[in-house]
Amino acid sequence: MTRRIFPYPVVVGDVSLEVAQVRLDDIALPYEMISTSERMVALHRIDRRDWRSARLSVQVRAPERELEGPWSGISCMALLAERRTNTRTAVRLRRERPGQWAGEVELHRDRHLAQAELTGQLIADVDGVAGRMIATTTDSWTIDLRARTPSRRDEIKTRWIDFAADANPHLHAFRSDPWLVEAVGEEPVLYLNSGFDGLKSLLESGRPADRAVRDNLASQIAMGVWTAMFNAALYLDEMTSSPQWPGGWRESVLRRMLPDIFPEFSPEDALTEVLARRRSGEGGGDLQTRIMHAASRRAQVAPSLGALIRTLSRTSQEDE
Amino acid sequence: MQQEESGTPINADDFGIWLSRQLRRRGLSQSDLAVALDVTRAAVSAWITGRATPRFEKIQEIERVLHLATGSSATRDEAPDSAGSISWHHRPAHADGGRELGNAAAFAFDSDLAVLAREAAQNSLDERHDLSRPVRVRFILHEITGERLRRLQEALLWDELVPHLRAAADTGQKVGRVIANGLRDLKERGSLLLLRIEDYNASGLTGPEYDDGRFAAVVRRQLDSHKGGAAGGSYGLGKVTLWAASQFGLVLMNSMLSEPYEGRHDRRLIGRLDLPWHEINRMQYAGPAWLGEGDPTRDGAARSWWADERSVEEFYLTRGSGDPGTSFLIVGAHDPSGEATDLEQMHQALVRGLASGFWASMVSGREMPPMMEASVEGLRDGQVVVAEERVDPHRYEPARTRAMRAFLNGETTSQITGPEDVISLDVPLTVPPLKGAEKSSSLTHRSVLLITPTGDDDPKPNRLVGMRGTRMAVLERGVSDVPLGAIRFQAVLLAGRAAGATGPDADAAERFLRAAEPPEHNDWKATDDLTSTYARGARQRLTEFKQAMLKQVRDAVRPVEQVSEEGAPKVLRDLLRLDPPVLARSPGYPTVKSATGMIDSDGAWHVRVEVRLPERADPWLLKPLLRFATRSGPLPSVPWAQINAVSHCEVVGQDDIRCAPGTRTAVFTGVSDKSHHPVSARMAGIEVDLVRRREIL
Repeated sequence: MTRRIFPYPVVVGDVSLEVAQVRLDDIALPYEMISTSERMVALHRIDRRDWRSARLSVQVRAPERELEGPWSGISCMALLAERRTNTRTAVRLRRERPGQWAGEVELHRDRHLAQAELTGQLIADVDGVAGRMIATTTDSWTIDLRARTPSRRDEIKTRWIDFAADANPHLHAFRSDPWLVEAVGEEPVLYLNSGFDGLKSLLESGRPADRAVRDNLASQIAMGVWTAMFNAALYLDEMTSSPQWPGGWRESVLRRMLPDIFPEFSPEDALTEVLARRRSGEGGGDLQTRIMHAASRRAQVAPSLGALIRTLSRTSQEDE
Repeated sequence: MQQEESGTPINADDFGIWLSRQLRRRGLSQSDLAVALDVTRAAVSAWITGRATPRFEKIQEIERVLHLATGSSATRDEAPDSAGSISWHHRPAHADGGRELGNAAAFAFDSDLAVLAREAAQNSLDERHDLSRPVRVRFILHEITGERLRRLQEALLWDELVPHLRAAADTGQKVGRVIANGLRDLKERGSLLLLRIEDYNASGLTGPEYDDGRFAAVVRRQLDSHKGGAAGGSYGLGKVTLWAASQFGLVLMNSMLSEPYEGRHDRRLIGRLDLPWHEINRMQYAGPAWLGEGDPTRDGAARSWWADERSVEEFYLTRGSGDPGTSFLIVGAHDPSGEATDLEQMHQALVRGLASGFWASMVSGREMPPMMEASVEGLRDGQVVVAEERVDPHRYEPARTRAMRAFLNGETTSQITGPEDVISLDVPLTVPPLKGAEKSSSLTHRSVLLITPTGDDDPKPNRLVGMRGTRMAVLERGVSDVPLGAIRFQAVLLAGRAAGATGPDADAAERFLRAAEPPEHNDWKATDDLTSTYARGARQRLTEFKQAMLKQVRDAVRPVEQVSEEGAPKVLRDLLRLDPPVLARSPGYPTVKSATGMIDSDGAWHVRVEVRLPERADPWLLKPLLRFATRSGPLPSVPWAQINAVSHCEVVGQDDIRCAPGTRTAVFTGVSDKSHHPVSARMAGIEVDLVRRREIL
């Protein structure tokens, strides 16, 4: 948890940014692909796969009264950045009226990969120094190039395939397994074996009698997924002098699990600690115990197992 | 006041009306005047019917006989004692002993101030005079005390009314309790609240005293809705809300007529009191009473009178301009629902009532004036306490108003791509033939449906409002079963003439939907009126219409792509969510609670840091880290020149901080080593972080 301190006065109060309209190669995107409450734009459309640029109509608002201060020549910039492609575009917005700016930001598809972050900044001359940032938007917007709905809800991709099918020779070695996790590349994928008899009907069963077993099976699968993903994220260590968050799904996995692994550590300290243990090779056993604990919490192993045991004891009583 | 120069030729018609009125007031017959002037009765009759005018000498003689000022026949001045001839006429009880213990029409309404605002404004809209200009409606709340109160009471002969009010209060009925409360409030507070509702550019109370017309519909009759043209229903059932808003059932009226009656337009006054049956000194009264000039030809019934400016002012009925229209003064105004209790709350309730019912009538297009303008104002003893607020539809109904405006300006689109876009669709309404004309075919009317996104701050999104003719909001309902991922929206349906359509189908739709409106005008349903007026199937046509509008809305807001959720079984999905965790309110590790700093004259940072600590028996050992903020990449850190403990901590070793066990906050200060600054301190912001140290024992 950090607080930034500036050597000059900055604006107090919230600066907000809104995306009013998006055009994909001059064709307006339906408004439901823009979510103001989630501050998200989904750019992916099945019927328009080969678009080249997206033009975002942006508006920035700041509390007008707060703008009277030791600043002169206030201007407003919209910044579009994606860490993974190291792209950063800055556009100066035009002032519509005091405390409000608007303009258009162009997103070139070939400079971006997955998600770009859109923020607004107020720039002014302070004490004779030009171009100082005096305010930044409280919350940023996410422009997702691959999403079809503007929702921040993010979950691991899951596919049903027949491990034994001729089309999947790479999975033949695992043909007798009910599921497996592929925690590599851009996106981890959980493969569920549709050739495994009864797996699909159990997992999708709505029968009350199946419920305890179904939930327990789901927890078991989830436990394996989280453990595999955490280890995969940990092994992608770029060995920088100070620990760095890896970004993407790996960062999401670490951020979700580290608080359970080292509850008394800040996320940054926890990252430092976990990377230090891996690099030094010490305490691998203790770390694995902690990872199991965190994964089982994510997968809700304890409550679903408890429910299963209670159900079993009830049915066995009935049998007697 | 209209001043006519003397010497203007006398208009025989006007003179006759004037003379007839003067005779009536004096209680003289045509024969009496004939005898006094020594002319034949036929001559007097010819003057009164306007067939002839008397010679100048005869006119002077007439003025003398009638005790009028010389020349008053030419200026049409009334007798100087005009105000003195005003009295209350109480209707005697029915001879058959029947008693009305309340106004039946009033019980048909769940009245409150919003309903009053709605009914009053609807009447004004229906009675709009010049259709190229808006009708203007003003609501003025005025609380009066002391001499002002006394002066009004004298003008309306209050002391004569009090015995009637007390007797009516004693009946113990629902209405009686309201009157008793009113009398008690007046006595305890010494103040009286007036609510004046005035409209401008409206017809005014035109027409004869007793026969069909707007005047009689309002003043004389119950449930008569003097249906004028297509608007219809004006001054119908709804006028009782005016009387219901008075604790005493007392309403005074001043009307500026759009077409003359008795040759005059200005200041037609009358008062009406609506009490239940009551008895004073064995004399029984039916309840209603009128304030006006006694009419000897009708057993002393009270007629309206043409008042002078001074008495209009005494009655608080002075009008703001010469535009025709009516001012209603509700004496002892209150909220019948009891929700708004003081002037400010009543002001709010009226503004909201007007905004929610008439926002659409108040929207203007680029080249189209609004149908109506409305305002509400509050005064106490002549001083403004709530400034006149012009009801602004954009403020109260931003999304719907935007939809209406886009429609009026022809700026609707075919697809919603921005937060301000408005789409326009058709909803067919099949109007069945009238009963008895089953052979004729049904007409199909295409009503207009507007849909626009609404903001996240809209407390009631996803609603549909329907309206016709005058664009008063009639139907208002939520749209259920909106597809997942749909935008938040507001929808407006314009049927009949509301969309500006003319022609037989629009007129038919207008009539059909009017018949489907209950007295409260808040829905379209199978009323008795509808089922008795239209051929079989009317109910079904109405249901189809309502279903069609909902379906259109749902289809329009449905997201384009339906993403199939094929993939993760539901039970697994929740266990595999990757969204960022919610940060704990009180995390289990030390955090920076506040950090402030400044640069000294040497260019080094001086910072003061307050640390928030989770409770723990062991001490926390922390290394404060000072880093220069950069746009990306690892932040360069700078060593400390000095660290000082301020409270609940101590400096350990070079620059670590050990916080006392069990403590919740600790404060330290630090000075940066400027020789290690990557850039001059003035050129960058800094951050302070806390890193855990392992306790070395």
